[in-house]
Amino acid sequence: MYRGILMRLSQAVPVLLIFSVMVFMLMHLLPGDPAQAIAGSDASEEAVEKIREQLGLNRPLPIQLLEWFAHLATGNFGESLTLKQSVVSAVGERLPVTLSLSLVSLVVTLPIGIGLGMVAAYWRNSWIDACVMVTALLGVSLPGFWVGILSVLYFSVTLGWFPPSGYVPLSEGGLWLWFASLVQPAIVLALFQIGFLARITRSAMLDVLDQDFIRTARAKGVDEWTVVSKHAFRNTLIPIVTVLGITLSLLIGGSVVIEQVFALPGIGRLIVQGILNRDYPLVQGTMLLFGFAFVVINILVDIIYTFVDPRVRYG
Amino acid sequence: MAGWLGRAVLTCAPLALAVAASFALAIAPASAQKRGGAVTYASGGGIGSLDPHVAGSLVELEVIHHVFETLVAMDESYNARPMLAAAVQVGDQARRFRFTLRKGVRFHNGEVVTSAAVLASFERYAMISTNTALLEDVSRYEVPDADTFVVHLKASNAMFIEMLKSPTYPLAILPPDQKDRPGREIEPIGTGPFTLETWEKDSHLILRRNAAYSVDRSAAGPDGLAGRKTAYLDTVRYDFLAEPAARLAALQGGQADAVANLPADYIRRLGDRTDLATLQVFPFCQLMFVTHAGNGLTAKTLIRQAIRAAVNVDDILAASGQPARRNPSLVYPGSPYHTGDASAEFYDRRNLDEARALLAQAGYNGEKLVLQTNSSFSYMRDAILVLAGQLREAGVNTEVQVVDWLANSTNLRRGTGNWNVTATGFCTQPLLGPQQWRSQIYTNPHIRDRAGLDDAYRRMFASPEFAPRQAAWRQIETQLLDQAYFIKVADLGAVRAYNTRLQGMAPYFFQRFWNTWVN
Repeated sequence: MYRGILMRLSQAVPVLLIFSVMVFMLMHLLPGDPAQAIAGSDASEEAVEKIREQLGLNRPLPIQLLEWFAHLATGNFGESLTLKQSVVSAVGERLPVTLSLSLVSLVVTLPIGIGLGMVAAYWRNSWIDACVMVTALLGVSLPGFWVGILSVLYFSVTLGWFPPSGYVPLSEGGLWLWFASLVQPAIVLALFQIGFLARITRSAMLDVLDQDFIRTARAKGVDEWTVVSKHAFRNTLIPIVTVLGITLSLLIGGSVVIEQVFALPGIGRLIVQGILNRDYPLVQGTMLLFGFAFVVINILVDIIYTFVDPRVRYG
Repeated sequence: MAGWLGRAVLTCAPLALAVAASFALAIAPASAQKRGGAVTYASGGGIGSLDPHVAGSLVELEVIHHVFETLVAMDESYNARPMLAAAVQVGDQARRFRFTLRKGVRFHNGEVVTSAAVLASFERYAMISTNTALLEDVSRYEVPDADTFVVHLKASNAMFIEMLKSPTYPLAILPPDQKDRPGREIEPIGTGPFTLETWEKDSHLILRRNAAYSVDRSAAGPDGLAGRKTAYLDTVRYDFLAEPAARLAALQGGQADAVANLPADYIRRLGDRTDLATLQVFPFCQLMFVTHAGNGLTAKTLIRQAIRAAVNVDDILAASGQPARRNPSLVYPGSPYHTGDASAEFYDRRNLDEARALLAQAGYNGEKLVLQTNSSFSYMRDAILVLAGQLREAGVNTEVQVVDWLANSTNLRRGTGNWNVTATGFCTQPLLGPQQWRSQIYTNPHIRDRAGLDDAYRRMFASPEFAPRQAAWRQIETQLLDQAYFIKVADLGAVRAYNTRLQGMAPYFFQRFWNTWVN
């Protein structure tokens, strides 16, 4: 299996290289000058040019790209133009926020998404199925930023249940304040994932419930709970685990919007600020780290396959 | 030489009755003020740097002016007033400026502010600031003693003190050991009424009351960024909430005590809450259309003038919903440089026939006119959308491009991108006066006939008397508006909101937390 993992990691290298070139090109294609962002809108052209020279932004793009790769080869992801700190350190400071948000969101997503999917499949074509599917459709269709703003207006301003914005670290506020600062954004972030997971679970479950072994189990007199939760559910795990990998990636990606709406100082907000300020090293480095995280998640999913289905082998 | 130059032109005495009056209004009875308490201010986007010498954004400057101080600063009426200087003497035909420092002022680290620190700060500023043009005419500095600092200029500059008061890229006085620190890498040690306690990037920043603050006892009370500043609050926490909806929710939910500028339509959401109040800051910015005189259609003066002729200010203001006042000039009505009705002929023409006639005269044949705006500032975007409609009525084929703020402002400053007209808000330039417009005008690479502007600015800086300076500014403003490089729309205000437990809140360009306290 280790050989398989190594092979997957080595296959990821060209993927990440192509990805990094794409991010580099896309960032530089955007109109707007990072030197102007740093200097401010009142700065003279000479002052802006001075900053551009200091940052090496006046050199040809291929040179800048090669230099970035040279730094990457030594493990240096670059230094943020605006934060004046290394990209790895900037990401490291904000990682706990994004991980906390994704974790709480995942905890919300898994039982509800899978549960709704199973319920809809079991009572297929009933009003229950219709309700679940409409809810799932709404979940995947409603834009997160809009739901987030409405949620703040209702649950924070009108009802006063949750803080409208901000993050309280676990080490500072304790478990309750940490959780309270995350629960609202995590639920908003989970809405899309719940809808997505419910639809996939329902579809996979329907396939399995029509299989002969389910009919056999029922003919043998096995009770319905065991049929669904043990025999049927275990056989839907492969597509669910596949979706979980995507879900985790989407949670991290979705945090870009949700962190902005709820003012959470995580990686998503860092990327948005980086893009708005055209902080090239920050966005390139962070995106590359994101890309690497997605690769690792996919490898983990592959490993989980071997536990879920013993017939799957790597290496 | 001329008597006025030999005298101390700035002292700590009140400058004008108007200033005294406005400032008396801002001060509540002393008995109401009490020390202690903490407030949270929902500020805009995050802060990149607390280095005053390179800070140009409002969010950064609001914090910086609580921590750092300058030799002269803006008063309540945005005129120059000594702050760390006790007095300023101007001599040698406005080529020599002698600053006598206020005695006993200390940095947050306990060091006394001396002329050596002032010299080090000026030298650092000249090396790293984005506004080095401020000191480009300096021939030498002189430090005769620990309390005196003298600046010698190569040429007369009657506006030097006015330029020195600029709150953007403030020439703050830092401890001498910060002199060689690169831009954005200083330790935040100033002389201000608050010290930096913590700063979590992208999240929040906390300022703590400077218990050892050297109060300017010569002043009767606080005066703009200067005067007798007293810190009553123990701490001020700045939460960085870029989204206005998040700021408003923080105030309504009790998480914030005051919030930075909100779009006007958000204010309605405060409803009838008696514990919340609004603060209207007026004037705050000038809304202006800027034409790209170096690109395609708008390279023709007649086309630019046709655009100006089509502008209907009332419709634009109705769409933006911001508090606004009509004003044809590039400076505010209270300024001695305000040109009054002299610029009225260029303002709010709302004459479609004139626009069509000018278009025909220019040989316009339905070519596309690109109006560029940004997604970050709704009042700019609304103004451009209304202008597009007005131009279409005049028979112009318009296209609206929406980009983000950085792309929009970079294009505006550098003349890049394929655009013909954009809308922007000029904030500090009209507030601080004609001298502040210079860098903005000269940075626009597409403005022609620089010779006329050069001559007028030369006269403005060299003239010891006010009348020639005023005449020079009138020439500059007329040229900019007549040639329709700039098309003035209106003066805009800003609206902030706060919880009424916070006392002493007074409208000012920057949100200040000295001389405010909590009940």
